[in-house]
Amino acid sequence: MNLKQTLLIAITISFIVLGSWETYWRSQGYYPTLDDNKDLWAVQRSKVTKATSNDVVLMGSSRVLFDIQLDEWEAETGKRPIQLASAGATPLPLFSDIVNNSDYTGTVVVGVTPGLFFSTTYPMAPPWKRVQTRVNYYQDRTFAQRLNHQISLPFQNNLAFMVSFEEKGYADEINLNGLLKRIRIGNRTGNKMMPPFHEFSNIALDRNTKMKDRTATDTAFANTVKAVWAFYQQDPHPPEKEATMTFFLKDAKKFKDRGGSLVLLRCPSSGRDRMGENMDLPRTELWDDLVTQANVPSYHFEDYDQLNQFICPEDSHLSGPDAQIFTTELTKIMIQDSVLTNSKTN
Amino acid sequence: MLFNSLSFAVFLIIVLALYYAPLFNWANKKRILLLSSYVFYGLWNPPLILLLWISTIVDWTAGNKLAKEENQNKRKFWLLLSMFVNLGFLAFFKYGDFLLENFVMFMDAIGVEFHVQPMDIILPMGISFYTFQTMSYTIDIYKKKIKPANTFLDFALYVTFFPQLVAGPIVRAKDLITQFYEPKKATINQFLFGLFSLTLGLFMKVVLADTLLSETSDTVFDSRNVLSFWDALAGTLAFSGQILFDFAGYSTCAIGIALMLGIILPDNFKYPYASVGFSEFWKRWHISLSTWLRDYLYIPLGGSHNGLIKTYVVLMITMLLGGLWHGAAWTFVVWGALHGTYLILERIQKKYLPFKITPFNGFFLAILTYACINTTWVFFRAKDFVTAKNMVGSLFYINPEGEKVLESFDIIKVFTVITILFLCHWIMRNTSVKSVSEKIPSWLLGVIWAIMFVLIVIAQGTGEQFIYFQF
Repeated sequence: MNLKQTLLIAITISFIVLGSWETYWRSQGYYPTLDDNKDLWAVQRSKVTKATSNDVVLMGSSRVLFDIQLDEWEAETGKRPIQLASAGATPLPLFSDIVNNSDYTGTVVVGVTPGLFFSTTYPMAPPWKRVQTRVNYYQDRTFAQRLNHQISLPFQNNLAFMVSFEEKGYADEINLNGLLKRIRIGNRTGNKMMPPFHEFSNIALDRNTKMKDRTATDTAFANTVKAVWAFYQQDPHPPEKEATMTFFLKDAKKFKDRGGSLVLLRCPSSGRDRMGENMDLPRTELWDDLVTQANVPSYHFEDYDQLNQFICPEDSHLSGPDAQIFTTELTKIMIQDSVLTNSKTN
Repeated sequence: MLFNSLSFAVFLIIVLALYYAPLFNWANKKRILLLSSYVFYGLWNPPLILLLWISTIVDWTAGNKLAKEENQNKRKFWLLLSMFVNLGFLAFFKYGDFLLENFVMFMDAIGVEFHVQPMDIILPMGISFYTFQTMSYTIDIYKKKIKPANTFLDFALYVTFFPQLVAGPIVRAKDLITQFYEPKKATINQFLFGLFSLTLGLFMKVVLADTLLSETSDTVFDSRNVLSFWDALAGTLAFSGQILFDFAGYSTCAIGIALMLGIILPDNFKYPYASVGFSEFWKRWHISLSTWLRDYLYIPLGGSHNGLIKTYVVLMITMLLGGLWHGAAWTFVVWGALHGTYLILERIQKKYLPFKITPFNGFFLAILTYACINTTWVFFRAKDFVTAKNMVGSLFYINPEGEKVLESFDIIKVFTVITILFLCHWIMRNTSVKSVSEKIPSWLLGVIWAIMFVLIVIAQGTGEQFIYFQF
């Protein structure tokens, strides 16, 4: 048995196959990207423990993630906010975690996407579980997991075939499991088939997220994302207004009482999404009542000329350039209202 | 730290570099291995290293006292102290909540209202493995089968040796400590075969267990509904493959890593699904645990020397406790009871209805054995008896109208993997990877090695913990 020769053959074949694999996926339009996973999130969450009263924490769902651009925010205020928003998630468990498990007394901007904010307080419901899983992971993560994350970053940053998604179901998954999932024979379970859901944003190390240019320029591509929203809106659940507001307002009071600043933010939506929201989740019943009861500075995009002019390419999120303008204008308004300060000038 | 993680790859490279660097003598190399083992364990939960230290110090002291002490009462004291500490750890950390829950249920049953909050005790990784390992050391010295380790360093390394610390194989002192007495260095072929074994183990874990089988198994066993026959069957078969590839994968990695350091660990799995009968299954599945239970439980309780009925009772007790070793739940006890029953029935058959095993009937008997073992996996995997009952009902076609939760491709995938698994076990049952690898051409082995490596990389894996860590 000549294992030296065997190893040499194995290394050569592996190198050729993996090189070809990488080249193939790049030729298909894939490129190295970071995964918005619980490790990336936990690194940002850990920053809250050292944050001062001058810091800003952003939370909410994907609208806050896409629409608030950290560079523009920092340019206007002199402080880079901590981005903790999670796609498809309610901010309630995270806000509760920050209020009850930290001493943070800075500013918290809570994004209110009505369909998610008022959706549930049930721990196993996806909008809750998605973010609660991250909160738990942050609390329980081991040193080995932290190390794994750091070591994985160069691979994620340099290899297109390392594209991965924490949440299953993305059509762009090209790991072995994702490729096997593309094979379907009939529909034995009779479950409704979700349209292919393509990743339409890129995320940076500090979780600054931007919509991919293609989403804004390629209508067909944007329509694939709209089709996914339509799929999820097939069986809309009525809002759980009372339970969600009670839960949130209790934490809001506690946070304000200890000197924290809370801000509510409603980011833009357009087209079919906005129509559905206006019908099923009317502003007067939900947002306005929340603002009244929370009694904190609140910003609804409809109320400001600078903020209500945007069209979301896939109805729910702003394109990269629009998000930059939105962030700049929003921070200007907030500074004007003395909700935020510009630490560069003050 | 998990073998299937990037941090472990970096860790191993550093350990190997230090181990083979011509800078240290053998004692210092052992210190490096010991320190590395603590880092390996501590990166998961540093405070729980304390338990390892306590276990090490208690058994080291007990072992030395037992070796010197002639007074039988004092010897018994030292043995009992070791047992008390090790089993006490297990009882508290692993069975604390289970015992409490059952106590509350018992009090309720006799009409006494008793409320208590669960203790939510964290289960130290690998506690079942290292406590059994250290107990075997003390018991063997008590029985004067072995001498104490030459040095504290040798003993501490025996308890903590990172390749097998958290999920075995459970190695006996005579097999491992003595290897630490002389400088060890892997030959180039040993080193490379160790690397091959590590790749094979990771392939079993990352590709076969986690990528091809775990999702099907989870979908089926997490369902609260009554399932159709095909879903229940595919889920059960998927779990049978998942647990084998997960655990045998870990053992193969452990053996490979140790071999890269020039240390030989015993085989823990020998193609168990090709077993013809249940006693053979336990000679092939988790061998280090089954031999441990045989030597330190079954034989001390009387073994097969005290009449038929008592033998069966002892066998059943051993299997019940073996079941409980796997987890603090009654479902594991039922799993052990089923295996105990199978073993007893097999003994009865061998005594009253003996027949010759031929290659032809052997193949069908192996299928029958595998089918029976699959029934036991239902109780092993199900999180409660309701799920287990529903699953067994579906498997025996009592629920023809059960829910379909798997897509056709999932079922085809599981049946394909399991058929290949079974045939591989049958073909390999009288040989080993090492002897096969010696017989096939180098280029072919290289191609197989590359295929496994490429698939590991493409699968990426999600860093799933090994199933046996929870035991």
